[in-house]
Amino acid sequence: MSRYRYLFVQLVRRELRRKYKGSTLGVLWYLINPLVLLGAYTLMFGHVYKFQSIPDFPIFLMIGLVVWTFFQQSLLSAAESLIDQGALVRKARFPREAIPGATVTVQLITFCALLTLLLPLTVAIRGTFGPALLLVPVLVALLYCFVLGCALTVAVLHAYFRDVVPILTALLLPWFFLTPIFFDPRTLGFVQSNPLVGTALQWINPVAPFIEALRAILFDGHAPDWGRLVYGFAAAGLAILLGTTIFRRMEGDLAVVV
Amino acid sequence: MNLRPGEIVLRDATRSFSVRADQARTLKGLFLGRRAHGPAPVPALRGVTLHIEPGETVGMVGRNGAGKTSTLRVLAGIVPLQSGEARCGGRIVSLLELGAGFSRDFSGRENILLQGALYGLNRVQIEERLDRIIAFSELGGFIEVPVKTYSSGMFVRLGFSIAAHLDADVLLIDEVLAVGDEAFQRKCLRRISEQIAAGTTVVFVSHDAGAIERVCERVVVLDGGRIVFDGPAAEGLLHYHQSMGTEHGGGQSLRPERDRSGPGRENSVAVTELELRDALGRSTSVFHSGMPMQLYAAVRAPEAVQQGWLTLELLDRSGSSVFRTRTAFEAGTDGIARLVLDIPDLALLGGDYDLALAASAVDEATPTDRTIRFTVAGRPGAEGIVDLRGSWRSLAPVTGPHADGLR
Repeated sequence: MSRYRYLFVQLVRRELRRKYKGSTLGVLWYLINPLVLLGAYTLMFGHVYKFQSIPDFPIFLMIGLVVWTFFQQSLLSAAESLIDQGALVRKARFPREAIPGATVTVQLITFCALLTLLLPLTVAIRGTFGPALLLVPVLVALLYCFVLGCALTVAVLHAYFRDVVPILTALLLPWFFLTPIFFDPRTLGFVQSNPLVGTALQWINPVAPFIEALRAILFDGHAPDWGRLVYGFAAAGLAILLGTTIFRRMEGDLAVVV
Repeated sequence: MNLRPGEIVLRDATRSFSVRADQARTLKGLFLGRRAHGPAPVPALRGVTLHIEPGETVGMVGRNGAGKTSTLRVLAGIVPLQSGEARCGGRIVSLLELGAGFSRDFSGRENILLQGALYGLNRVQIEERLDRIIAFSELGGFIEVPVKTYSSGMFVRLGFSIAAHLDADVLLIDEVLAVGDEAFQRKCLRRISEQIAAGTTVVFVSHDAGAIERVCERVVVLDGGRIVFDGPAAEGLLHYHQSMGTEHGGGQSLRPERDRSGPGRENSVAVTELELRDALGRSTSVFHSGMPMQLYAAVRAPEAVQQGWLTLELLDRSGSSVFRTRTAFEAGTDGIARLVLDIPDLALLGGDYDLALAASAVDEATPTDRTIRFTVAGRPGAEGIVDLRGSWRSLAPVTGPHADGLR
């Protein structure tokens, strides 16, 4: 496995450059796209459809949005990755996990770059400098494992059943609106009268605890509660376990189906 | 049990492929059980058992769909078996599809790095080989250009150069080499020979009997997903040609035959029978170099014409004339002339040949009446068409004070 480390590096570099090779701004597009998205959502949910009074709303929104973008882009690009790289799959025997793994890693690089831009901004505006910041890399690592596990699953499933991407696309839109990205589930008016909905919003959706934990550190300036950290560990471990198990089970005929 | 590097074991290897117009299955199909309908899966391998020792060179021949490429893909570990066992020892490098695994937007050099990585080499290992690969590929400045601008010949050159320099224990080569020009093909065969000398196991699929004969000592003939022959190269190729011959009625000649069914033709001079026989007088279409061959022909002559001319022409696989001869004949009272051409030892080398016969009443060129195709199994150490059968001997080496001046 370790002798394929260089292959993984190659795949990541290739993936980084593949899409934007030949375009003037090149790899910068990886950063520009999410930034444009951030601007648009800030305008819409911060000013036009403002239904919750949250101070420093753009910062609040951005934290949720970078996590969501990482999650969504990783799943969508990983799902197609094995088919896109069919020529490699048909060519040689190598650990096929490397292909969806590389696409998720490319998204992780974008995510980290955005987070690095966001971090000083947040700390300066919200005054959240403190030891809790040390937990950020831990959360990023857990999120990466969680996303990787999900990505392995959708990638191998989509290679066999081409309905997976349309289903995923359809699923991701309502999922986005149910994720606490542009609202705070605790202070939402509707949730005040229906506390069960609030619990569901915070705990059923596996992406929510990650966002809220990151937000506790960056936005509120304190360490996330234990519940969310434990949840993060469990989600990451479970996703990786499930993802690798399904992938191993199904990877056999990949060269035939892609 | 661990295999030695270069050892190959296939035991009862079985694999079939489903043939659906839309390859990709859908969840709907899964839930509705639609996979049960449609054409039955096509068996590609049906219990193939094969043991190849390290350093052996095996040619694999068979008709299209016989399972050759499937076998290679199974050996390369790309496609799993449904039952049985397939194992290869050491590093397996395959050259199966033309340009497979190349990213079109990347330069030849970048693709070399990726291909090397695909086989588990690290950066240092690949960079050690980089110069040799580039030199072998003869791509020159094109190595820095995205491969999407390459011609198919350039793809093959790069693909082969990479595969041939990764220090494989097992090298699997499919038909792809056929795309390169002749000079490069020769260079590839030479490189393969070098690898063989260095102890690499080579499995080679080709329809080019000549190339197989040059490179391989052992031939496996596949038919319908089964091994029908496994043994020495010359015999294997013979077996292959024989099975091809019976299947296609001797094969189609390149030379068109004269239409003998037209009105008035029944009274003209024509070759009516043509047969090739071996030393024992049995009809056959397969011969060995140096073996006796007997050609039997019957020519129909209308009563008015008692004599005529018979022309025989020997053609090689590309349709070029190798040999031509003519003879006068005289028909018997039954209006038929029977002729035999005795060839004491066939001075031809391995390959397929056509014999074309034409008969006419007058001494002039006439269209071919009848052709027959036959196969010659060559002899080791000689290539080409004609067997001149020379033998080498060494002269005493020049020694002494003037030796330098004589060079």
